[in-house]
Amino acid sequence: MKELKKKIISVCKVIASDHQLLAGVIGLLFIFFIIIFAPLLVTDNPYHYGDDILFRVGQGGHILGTNHMGQDIYSMLIYGMRTSFKVAVISALISGILGVVIGGIAGFFGGKVDIIVSEIINVFMMLPTFFLILLIVALFGNSIYNVMVVIGITTWPSNAKLMRAEALTLKQRTFVKSAEAMGESKSQRLNKYIIPNGIFPVVSNTTMGMSNAILTEAGLSFLGLGDATIISWGQMIYTGKQYITTAWWISTYAGFAIIITVIIFYLLGDGLNHVLDPKYSKQGR
Amino acid sequence: MGKYIIKRTISGFITVILVFAMNFFLFKMAPGDPITTLMGTKATSKAMRHALEVKYGLDKPLIVQFISYLRTAAHGDLGISIIYNRPVADMIGEKVGATLLLCLTAAIIALVIGTAMGIHAARKEGGVYDVIASGTTYAFNSVPSFWLGLMLIIIFSSGLKWLPSYGMVDNRADYTGMAYVMDIIMHMILPTLTLTLILIPQYFRIAKSSVLQVTNEDFIMTFKAVGMNNKTIFNRYIFRNAILPTVTIFGISVAYLITGVTLIEIVFAWPGMGRLMMTAITQRDYPTLMGSYLIMAISVAVAMLLVDIVYALLDPRIRYE
Repeated sequence: MKELKKKIISVCKVIASDHQLLAGVIGLLFIFFIIIFAPLLVTDNPYHYGDDILFRVGQGGHILGTNHMGQDIYSMLIYGMRTSFKVAVISALISGILGVVIGGIAGFFGGKVDIIVSEIINVFMMLPTFFLILLIVALFGNSIYNVMVVIGITTWPSNAKLMRAEALTLKQRTFVKSAEAMGESKSQRLNKYIIPNGIFPVVSNTTMGMSNAILTEAGLSFLGLGDATIISWGQMIYTGKQYITTAWWISTYAGFAIIITVIIFYLLGDGLNHVLDPKYSKQGR
Repeated sequence: MGKYIIKRTISGFITVILVFAMNFFLFKMAPGDPITTLMGTKATSKAMRHALEVKYGLDKPLIVQFISYLRTAAHGDLGISIIYNRPVADMIGEKVGATLLLCLTAAIIALVIGTAMGIHAARKEGGVYDVIASGTTYAFNSVPSFWLGLMLIIIFSSGLKWLPSYGMVDNRADYTGMAYVMDIIMHMILPTLTLTLILIPQYFRIAKSSVLQVTNEDFIMTFKAVGMNNKTIFNRYIFRNAILPTVTIFGISVAYLITGVTLIEIVFAWPGMGRLMMTAITQRDYPTLMGSYLIMAISVAVAMLLVDIVYALLDPRIRYE
C-alpha cells in the first residue's frame, strides 16, 4: 500500500514538473468527466428532433440554440465528445500497435527485413494520407468504424519510423546483448527489452496522432463522408454550413469544441515528449 | 551525391508504382461492379455478361488488366468521366491552375510571415512577444481549416459585407483587363487568409527552434567570446544556418497543400482540384476520383523527391549516412 502511494506521488511530481503535461492531464480529466457524465450534463436529448427549430442562443431554454432539426446544440456538443474521443483512441491504438510491431521488427532484425520495411515506410510517408482516407471511405462506406480503422491503418508509418530507430540503438545496448548471451530467444528479447524500452517516443507521437485523428474525422464529416447516424462535431459544422448566414451558432461552437480537444491532446503529447525524452530536459527548454 | 540521387529517385519511382497499384486494386475491391451497372440489376443473361466482360477486357487476369491500365495512364489517358463524358485528364488540367494559384500564394505569404515571427520570437525567447506568439500559433495549429474559413465568411462576408465568399470570379459581372484581375484578387483574399493562418504555425515553430538551436552551438559561443557584434553574428551565421530547415518544410508543405487545400476550396467554392474531387465523390464518378488521386499522389512524390535533392545540395551533412 505504501509502495503504491509512493508511486502515485512520484507520478504526480513528474506531471507537475512540466507545464504542458500538467495542462494536458487536467484537460484529459475534463474530457473524461464530460464523457462519463454526459447524460447528466445535457439539458435535452441530443437525438430528439424537437419543434424548436433554429432557436437563437439562449432562446427557449436552449443555452447554445438549436439546429434546423430542432436538436439542442449544447447537448449535441456534450455527446460529440464521446464520438471524437472514440475515434481518437481507437485509431491511435491501431496506428500505435501497427507502428510498434512493424518498426520494432524492422529495427531489431535488421538486414534485408529492415531494408524492405524501411522502403515501405518511406513510400507510405510520401502518400497524401487525407486523400487516401477520403478515397477509401468514399468507396467502402462511411460507418464510424470504417473511418477509425482507415485512419489507423494509414497513419502508422511515422510510429514505425520512431520505433525502428529506437530498436536499432537498443539492440546494441549492453543489457540486450547480455540477454542474448544468456540465451534468450529473439522474440523474447524483442518483447521483453526492445519494445518496453523503446515505446516512449511512439507514446507521445500517438498522443499527437489523436489530435490529427479528431481533425481528420471532422474533415471527413465536413465533406459529408461522416457517419450520419451519430453525433459528431464535424457533422455539426457540415450541417451548419448551409445556415452560416442565418444561424452561425450551429457551426461555431462545434469548431471551438474541436479546437479545445485537439489542443488538450497536443499539450499531452508535447508534455509526454518532454518528460519521457531525457535529451529535452538537458537542453533546459 | 550521385548515389543518393539515384537511391531517392528509385524510392520515388516505387511510390508512383505503388500509387498506381493501390488506385487499381482499391477500385477493384470496392463494392459494386461496372458490368452489373451497365446491364442493370434485372438483366441476368450470362452470355451478355460475358460479351461485356470481353469487350472491356475484364475477363483477363488481374495482372494483365493492371499492366494495360499502367500503359494507358503512361500515355496521359486517365479514362473518361462517367458523369461528364469527357477525358479526366482534360478536366483536371482545367482545375489545377486555380488550386496552384491559391496554394502558392498562401504558402509564400505564410513562409515569410511565419519565419519572421519565429526568428523574432527566438531572439527574445521567453519575452512577452514570444509567449503571445507561441501561444497563438499553438492554438491555430489545432484549428480545423474549414471551420476557420466559415468563421471568416461570417465575419467578413455576411457580417461586414466587405469580401465575396463564393467562387473565383463574379459570374454576374463581365469584367475584362484590370477589373477582372481585381475581381479574382478580391475573391482570393478569404481563402488565402484561411490557408495562410493555418500554415503559419509550422513555419513559426521550425524557424524558432532552428534559430535557438544554432544560437546554442559552440561556434556561435566562440564568436561571442571573441567579441563579435551580435548583429553580425546573427546576419552572417545564425540566419543562414537556421533558414535551411525552412526550405525543406516549404517544399514538403507545398506538396501537401495541393491535397490539403480541398477542404478550403469546398468552403469557398473555389474551382480547383479539390472541388472536382468532391463532386466526383458525391456523384460516384470513380474515373475522375481515381485520376485526381493519381495526379495528386504523383505530384507529392515528385515534389518531395525534388526537395530532398535540393536539400542534399544545400546541406552536405544530409547527403548520406
